[in-house]
Amino acid sequence: MNTDSGHIVEPGGSMHPAGTLPAGDSNGMDDKQRRRRYRMYRWRDYGVGYLFMLPWIIGFAVLVAFPVGWSLFNSFNKVRITPEGFKFDWVGLDNYKRAFVEDNVYSIQLITYFQEMLLMIPLILIFSFFVSLLLNQKFPGRTVVRAVFFLPVIFATGQVLTELFVQGAGKLPFIEQYNLEGLVRENVGPRIAEPVLAVLSKAVIILWYSGVQILIFIAGFQTIPKTIYEAVRIDGATPWESFWKITLPAMVPFIGLNAVFTIVDLFTFPFNPVMDHVRANMFKPATGYGYASALAWIYFAIIIALLAVVLWITYRAAKGRRAMQ
Amino acid sequence: MGNTATERINTSTEPLPNSKRMASRLWRWRKHASWFQVTLIVFLTAIGLFMLLPIIFLFNNAFKPLNELFLFPPTIWVKEPTMRNFERLFLHSAAGVVPFTRYLFNSVIVVALTLFSVIMASTMAGYVLAKHRFHFKTLIMSLIMLSLMFAPETVSIPRYIMVSGLGMTNTYFAHVLPFIASPVAVFLMKQFIDQVPDALIEAAKLDGAGDMYIFTRIIIPLIAPAVATISIITFQAVYLDMEGSTLYTQKETMKTLAYYVSSLTANLQNSVAGQSIAAACALLMFIPNLIMFLLFQRKMIQTMLHSGVK
Repeated sequence: MNTDSGHIVEPGGSMHPAGTLPAGDSNGMDDKQRRRRYRMYRWRDYGVGYLFMLPWIIGFAVLVAFPVGWSLFNSFNKVRITPEGFKFDWVGLDNYKRAFVEDNVYSIQLITYFQEMLLMIPLILIFSFFVSLLLNQKFPGRTVVRAVFFLPVIFATGQVLTELFVQGAGKLPFIEQYNLEGLVRENVGPRIAEPVLAVLSKAVIILWYSGVQILIFIAGFQTIPKTIYEAVRIDGATPWESFWKITLPAMVPFIGLNAVFTIVDLFTFPFNPVMDHVRANMFKPATGYGYASALAWIYFAIIIALLAVVLWITYRAAKGRRAMQ
Repeated sequence: MGNTATERINTSTEPLPNSKRMASRLWRWRKHASWFQVTLIVFLTAIGLFMLLPIIFLFNNAFKPLNELFLFPPTIWVKEPTMRNFERLFLHSAAGVVPFTRYLFNSVIVVALTLFSVIMASTMAGYVLAKHRFHFKTLIMSLIMLSLMFAPETVSIPRYIMVSGLGMTNTYFAHVLPFIASPVAVFLMKQFIDQVPDALIEAAKLDGAGDMYIFTRIIIPLIAPAVATISIITFQAVYLDMEGSTLYTQKETMKTLAYYVSSLTANLQNSVAGQSIAAACALLMFIPNLIMFLLFQRKMIQTMLHSGVK
């Protein structure tokens, strides 16, 4: 593809290759020619874009976009598997209605999972922010420690994680070993004990799911110029003050980004009970694939709503900061 | 950390030159370091060890004899390491109809094909998304973002319909094609190619380079770290993927290693003896991932730092 070998740089500009240029007797003619050539150039430029995009687009359309659309279509149907193949009966929003009215497992699972997530997301964010703050300091062996914290990103995806948890590596043996559960219950009272224990049992997940977040935060710290800190120090601010007045406000967009990332990560988590329920419903004769699709789409819609809220809060916070300056 | 350094200085009678230099460097650092830094390192080391715990557990589990595997509460460290688990695994797999090497061969072919095609498709797409003008660019970007959030289980049936409609069941294509349109890979590539200065590409164009030339001679060499990252991510996904083997292929000779291992362990999950084979399998499946990570780790962190955001 050597599309632009002759006439490049300025589209419709002065670089016409000799010979194809009209004699230049009438200005209007020249203009028209120019415009046509410009359009040709643009089309070639765009054409290259499409050509390079093509393999990905085909793959995406055939094996991602179409199946997703198909599952949306299925969610409005009752799908039956018969010897002749799939049978679709249009039922409208019936599947969605049934998910909320008839299904006594789904809505409860959804709510409990969301409660857990609402606890986990801030914890992961705070933990990764804290650790990245520490990792941003200078000390010997920093690269090694960074690599260790990044390690889970490689393993904490799908199959490996499943395998590890099946093997029992996800549990913390010391919780059982030292009877930590009883200790917590005795000391803080039942009401506070419940969430504390839930978090403790999820400690490994919190640690393992903050790898990318830590990295994003470290990248974020690097965008704050050092000169600001120096200036503030000369003005007599303590490190504590400079953290609250400079570091934290500058990190707001990154916190938002990380929140989005964490939500996406947790909601496509392999042991998610909601996904299990969807999968279980897929091949049940009573409910079928149409119903399972509806469940998946409800779930998807809720995630999108949550993401929209997070993005809106981040946007507001960032705007407020800009207004203050 | 500081204390160990002083101990090493005091007690070492005949240190190697290298370790001596290390120790003296640590010693010098200790003099400058504040208490804050010492506690910082101790704290980070502790959390770091904690993060490594599941991996240590996995390694130890594979070498535990049967009686230790069923200890309650479970222990992390193995007391009497044995190779018995691996022996059992190989004996068990030798009894199969399709030889073990066939699964291995399939896995190698599938992983190589997928890596190549994903890297090609995503670098090409990333290049034009970052450096070219054409219609629907924002639409494509938002599609990528949206498809990141979609759990793959929900679309498995329509995908099967597509794969079988295209007549690809029981071929290697059925393993490879579902991965090609990887949203993560394109996103990372686009972000990374954005960093390549436009001036470089313009200069090449002025000297008469075509798009293909720019792509192969300028873009590809510059984005090597991103290619490494995508290789790791894709390798991970493909190597452990079972969807291709369980859904899109019926012939036993077309299935991959991941499927074979899981079928080994699935049948044995309930039996007591199966636990030892499962533990050995888990380690064997895990090691290639670890090697990939150790090879490309630095490049990957670099990519993430440069392209994750901004």
